[in-house]
Amino acid sequence: MNRFKTLMGAAAVLGAALISGQAAAFDLGIVAFQMSAETHARCSNTAEARAKEFGWDTQVLNSNGSLQTHAEQIENLIQKKVDGMVLCMSKPVQFDAQFQDAKDAGIPVITISSGSSPHTLFDVQPNEFVVGAEAAVYLLGTIDFEGGILAQRFESNAGARIRGIMLDVVLAENPTVTVVGSHSMARTKSWQDDVRNGMSALILQKAGQYKGIWASFDGQAFIIDDLLIESGMKKGDVSLVSIDGGQEVFRRIKSPDSMMTATVAVPLEDMATAAVDSMKAIAVDGKKKEEMVAGPYLFKPAILVDANNVDQYLN
Amino acid sequence: MIPKHAIEKYGTLFAGLVLFAFLMVFAENFASTANLLNVLKQVSFLMVLSIGFTFALIASELDLSFANVCSLSAVVIGSLMQAAYPWPLAVSAGLAMGLFAGLLNGYLVTYLKVPSLISTLGTASVANGLAFMITGGVAFVGRWDPDFLFLGRGKIGPVPVIILFTLAIVALSFFLSTQTKTGIHLQATGENEEAARRSGINTRKSKILGLALSGLAAGLTAVFLVANLSSAAPQMAGDFLLNGIAATLLGMTMFTPAKPNILGTIVGALIIVVLSNGLVLLGAQYYIQDIMLGIIIVASVAVSASVLKRAAFAL
Repeated sequence: MNRFKTLMGAAAVLGAALISGQAAAFDLGIVAFQMSAETHARCSNTAEARAKEFGWDTQVLNSNGSLQTHAEQIENLIQKKVDGMVLCMSKPVQFDAQFQDAKDAGIPVITISSGSSPHTLFDVQPNEFVVGAEAAVYLLGTIDFEGGILAQRFESNAGARIRGIMLDVVLAENPTVTVVGSHSMARTKSWQDDVRNGMSALILQKAGQYKGIWASFDGQAFIIDDLLIESGMKKGDVSLVSIDGGQEVFRRIKSPDSMMTATVAVPLEDMATAAVDSMKAIAVDGKKKEEMVAGPYLFKPAILVDANNVDQYLN
Repeated sequence: MIPKHAIEKYGTLFAGLVLFAFLMVFAENFASTANLLNVLKQVSFLMVLSIGFTFALIASELDLSFANVCSLSAVVIGSLMQAAYPWPLAVSAGLAMGLFAGLLNGYLVTYLKVPSLISTLGTASVANGLAFMITGGVAFVGRWDPDFLFLGRGKIGPVPVIILFTLAIVALSFFLSTQTKTGIHLQATGENEEAARRSGINTRKSKILGLALSGLAAGLTAVFLVANLSSAAPQMAGDFLLNGIAATLLGMTMFTPAKPNILGTIVGALIIVVLSNGLVLLGAQYYIQDIMLGIIIVASVAVSASVLKRAAFAL
């Protein structure tokens, strides 16, 4: 009997502790599609930090890269009756039903790098077409628009796929540059292994045939950079260009040992901050959505970072 | 004083009821009709998939391919929907894909004598490769036939139609496993194959049936997943592997302790999804969900380890 009482007492204390965070403040639900990806984590962590600055209750959820889990996280937040949602790297068509339910429940949803939906307020993104074109043109410039390149793609993600499409568009206008080897990342959970295996084979097989390497996001570029260093290359031997930004890629651009040449830094922190600020303006301060963003997208321009300006961004 | 055998048989069920009561008291909106229907909808996918895994385990065979087979079936359905084939054809093809994979596993285990741990891992890898081959890594996404989407998103009154399908599948599975000669043969084969064979039971047929039902359940889950998300991706059921095994192992800690059973699996799946939903409503951060699931798996494996070992290492 004493044990039962102790258990019930512990449960009551646990319950009280858990619900103590459920105050009357604005309750923001944040869902990252795959927290193990650095960009998703940066996005959700920044949104959480910004919301806390406003004194809001925040809850960060991770969908582990699973479509069904993502749908369930959104459904659970609707049942929790959160006051607003910020979704990092969501998908508009797949979660059409959940977005509609959120709208019907009067819960405003702002997405980041997800694509627009008629049921959400708007999507904050850098415009992947512009980002992709900038990275591709820069890479070709570093090899004087001539010779071979290797490409590391990622077709499963809409943003990374668009970047690859823009590489193809730029290449179509520059036929003197050829892709001598290309690897497409297939697995999302063990993607590091996938990239390492695919690119190590290409680097060996195509040795001497390429002057530049394009990667669809920085995480891939780090693995390629390490492979190039292991193969004995020195800075300047090959140009390595990618997209996303962040302190690790800036450190590599600065490092005399790394092949990392440039990145197009997507302002994820600015995007997440803008999403939360917009949520406050609309859901708390009562501004109309149209006063904040005219159309379905709020574009936040990306910045190309290379050796010339990396010091401005390196902490 | 509660008898020891009652604790063994109903201890986990009681713990589940305590969890339910705890959430009713401390998690706001948990006990609302809308949320309870939400929980039942969410558990449907896991329940159907886990029931299949349970059938294989009842026959003392371990099917580690069910999640990947589910993803492959989903991709088959998605490819046909995208190509504008009639949805009944797409659904039939998805179910046939799952059933075929299950039969293949059964053939490998019973005729080629490959242990199910190995053969189903191989099938899982092949299914994963085929899913990527069909999609090229890019998910099929579309606003498909509303009649098809009704299977996953539709409602009859306030009740999601998928709950009704799942109830029918649960009833059928429970009846098959406990009230029919086929079910008794499955159990006899799983408990002591040699004794079952000597008593005239076609144990080969029972094992093939157990694995085939697992494949068919994967195909059924794929139908619901694709219809719910209006998309099909090559690894869309990947997360269900761990949760499906966890639900079944949790089920083995109740009703007929240390034996896989349909009723236990149903309660096990419910506990996992209720916990996941409850944690969101309590405001718990994302990592708490993973930690709690891990604790549940370890605890349930500790109780049901003997049967799992027998299934995993049967030669």
